[in-house]
Amino acid sequence: MSQSRVIAAIEIGTSKIVVLLGEIIGDSGLNIIGHSVGSSKGVKKGVITDLDKASDCVHAAILKAEENTQTRIDEVYLAQTGRHLIGNFNVGSSNVSSSDGVVRSADIDAATDDAKRRSLPRDRIYIHHIQNPFSLDGNPVENPLSKEGRQLQIGYWSVHGDSEAVSDSLRVIRGIDLDVSDMIISSIASGTVLLEESEKDNGALVIDIGGGTTDYMLYRKGYIVKTGVVPVGGDHITNDLSIGLRISRKNAEGFKLKDGRAYYQSEDREEKVWLIGDFTIGDRQYPLAAITKIIEARVFEIFDIIKEQLVDADLFEPQDMASGVVLTGGSSRLTGIEEAAHRRFGLEARASEGSQYVNEELRAPEYSTAIGLLHYALTGQEDNQEQVKSSGLMRKIAGLFN
Amino acid sequence: METTTDTFSGQDTAQADLKIKIIGVGGAGTNAVDGLKLDDLSDIRLAAINTDAQALNQSPIAEKLVIGRSVTRGLGAGGEVEIGKAAAEADRNAIARIIGDMDLIILVVGLGGGTGSAAAAIVAEVAAKTDALVLAFATLPFSFEGARRKRIAEDSIGELRQLVHGLIPLPNDVLLQEGEEDTSVLNAFAVADHWIGRGVNSLCATLLKTGLINQDFSSVRSVFQDRGGKTIFGTGTATGGDYVKDALEDLFICPLLHLGDRPAQLDRILVNVICGADMGMAKINEVMTQVTKRFGSREDIVFGAVIDESRSQSLELCILAKAEMDSLVAPEPTKISKVSETITTGLGLETEISLDKKAPRPVHRSKLSKKEQAAIDQDEFNFIDADAQRGYFEKTDRNDYKDEDLDVPTFMRRGIKIKIK
Repeated sequence: MSQSRVIAAIEIGTSKIVVLLGEIIGDSGLNIIGHSVGSSKGVKKGVITDLDKASDCVHAAILKAEENTQTRIDEVYLAQTGRHLIGNFNVGSSNVSSSDGVVRSADIDAATDDAKRRSLPRDRIYIHHIQNPFSLDGNPVENPLSKEGRQLQIGYWSVHGDSEAVSDSLRVIRGIDLDVSDMIISSIASGTVLLEESEKDNGALVIDIGGGTTDYMLYRKGYIVKTGVVPVGGDHITNDLSIGLRISRKNAEGFKLKDGRAYYQSEDREEKVWLIGDFTIGDRQYPLAAITKIIEARVFEIFDIIKEQLVDADLFEPQDMASGVVLTGGSSRLTGIEEAAHRRFGLEARASEGSQYVNEELRAPEYSTAIGLLHYALTGQEDNQEQVKSSGLMRKIAGLFN
Repeated sequence: METTTDTFSGQDTAQADLKIKIIGVGGAGTNAVDGLKLDDLSDIRLAAINTDAQALNQSPIAEKLVIGRSVTRGLGAGGEVEIGKAAAEADRNAIARIIGDMDLIILVVGLGGGTGSAAAAIVAEVAAKTDALVLAFATLPFSFEGARRKRIAEDSIGELRQLVHGLIPLPNDVLLQEGEEDTSVLNAFAVADHWIGRGVNSLCATLLKTGLINQDFSSVRSVFQDRGGKTIFGTGTATGGDYVKDALEDLFICPLLHLGDRPAQLDRILVNVICGADMGMAKINEVMTQVTKRFGSREDIVFGAVIDESRSQSLELCILAKAEMDSLVAPEPTKISKVSETITTGLGLETEISLDKKAPRPVHRSKLSKKEQAAIDQDEFNFIDADAQRGYFEKTDRNDYKDEDLDVPTFMRRGIKIKIK
């Protein structure tokens, strides 16, 4: 029993807090032993705006998860999102040093260090360095060790965040006397567990539409080549409906869930829908077209921004995205979201069925990030082959709390 | 409701001697004033101020002022704020003469261009030195007019807000929602003028006409005691059928009241009612009850009702409300910023003297006060954001992407019209 550790994957989302508990016993893998979901307050667009409110909600969710499972959390893995996250593609290179022209591990280290060397302004910290393929004299190679060549190059997709925003989220966890072992950006967390290896190789775009943000990641030839955050999510759809229909946020949310569709169709012109719908006095009818037009404008815009960012990075190439678009996140429950994605990207699009390694209940799109976090917690320490590996929280946040 | 019975008096207290002037500033402002159809309110004086002499010549307004001839040779500001500013600065004295000695000054300006955006603040500044109550209607450019115009408008509105007693922003994106489905862009500009007309008419009618419930100028003044803060404006109208219910409904869904950023508490609310002679007190009371219920009556609601013989079976409602800035964030921001303004803009001797009366000015400003100033600037900045229909996202970072604020509903930025009836 002494080998057993309880790991908590925590996502402080804009609309809810997800805490997922996993138990690692020895080296034998991980069992999900419980979870709790609480409503979130004090978070907007994925970023904490009210530390006290957010802390209360997170602490309540953590305590509930511990209570449900009668365990104590040993380690926390925390998801990060928000518009403050920025990714850069950095290429490092080194000249093969040995006289026989064979790549040694020292050369690999030198190229790696070179790629990660780019320093950040004081208020930014690195959250991930995601390795991309090596190339030896311009030719891509999986593993350059012992291969012959002159110049070795390695690319990294490096994501950094605003240290203020990051430390706020760490403070919330520390407030309940727990330590954060590592942070993972949400798009990577959800993306890694939802795709089969073959889909990663064929290329796929994973889009996680949450309450306050839409996180995406692009797999190309098996590698994560780009991640991004569009700070727009289901919250915006609700807000748009509230302003456009001049109704309360609560009623707008109701319309979104009850009658919302991600695209408008001409039949909507004829149809009217009830605001409340149970013969309440003061209930009103609204044209369905008003609802679907408002939502369509917003959903199409989210997809268009993602496409634009991929095009700008020269990464939008349908032949390298054969597995199409995979949608997840709470707002991916919106009716017609696949069709909308299909229309905007011109690619096959499907809603994720969740990770097949977990039971039915946890396959809901709301859990994909937390499950990805647990997966990361497990693989991050298990093998070094894994592309996304922990560089250790302490290194990331060195100096943050001084 | 006590307030309503208090102000209720059958006496004729309309103030015929009240001096009101409406001043259009810049091209769009002048056009809007040109188009004002003031029902039977001949006492109101109209004026126009512009850099473009030719455009001004075509205006039927009697009192006109070309500013900055020395700067622009009367050719307009060409969308350049700096030129507009220099033009207005050059003719401060002439502006002061136009403003004259009034009780109420209503500025009408379209923000985003060169003249209006720059000159409005200077006109307001000059007006602020008189005893007049100064209100301003300012239209904000459509998103599709580009980020530059939008930025100019936002800068200008922040400045203007501090100088007038009530600033009513009219975002064109929002007003577009009110036109017919196929409203062209040209008509869309006219929509804003129409709204300004409704606001100005309603306010002036209540002040100048004899009514069922008379509002005297001092009660209007009491609503707009301090400069700065936020002004909320909305109207509703209906004719025939169940016009009381319909007009109330029309008011409640007025897009300007649904920017998602209505402050939790409106401090002082002015409600104007214009109706036909057939309306009767019972119906007026119903209107008051409904409006009070809707907008809360924790603080004073000031009601006014005017009869217009030509409007039988019809009702027009207009509310103007004032909310102070978030007092938790910056206690009494207006006071402090007022002092700082006189420091930065104090050209005349008078302002220096009046400043001395308030508080002795230190030779060196302490770092502390600078910090305070920074906090206020920040607050003001947030406030501009709030006005740009950020609403729910008010306290968050701006969501800029390629010169657009993604927190603003997409359908509004794209000019997609939503029919909700």
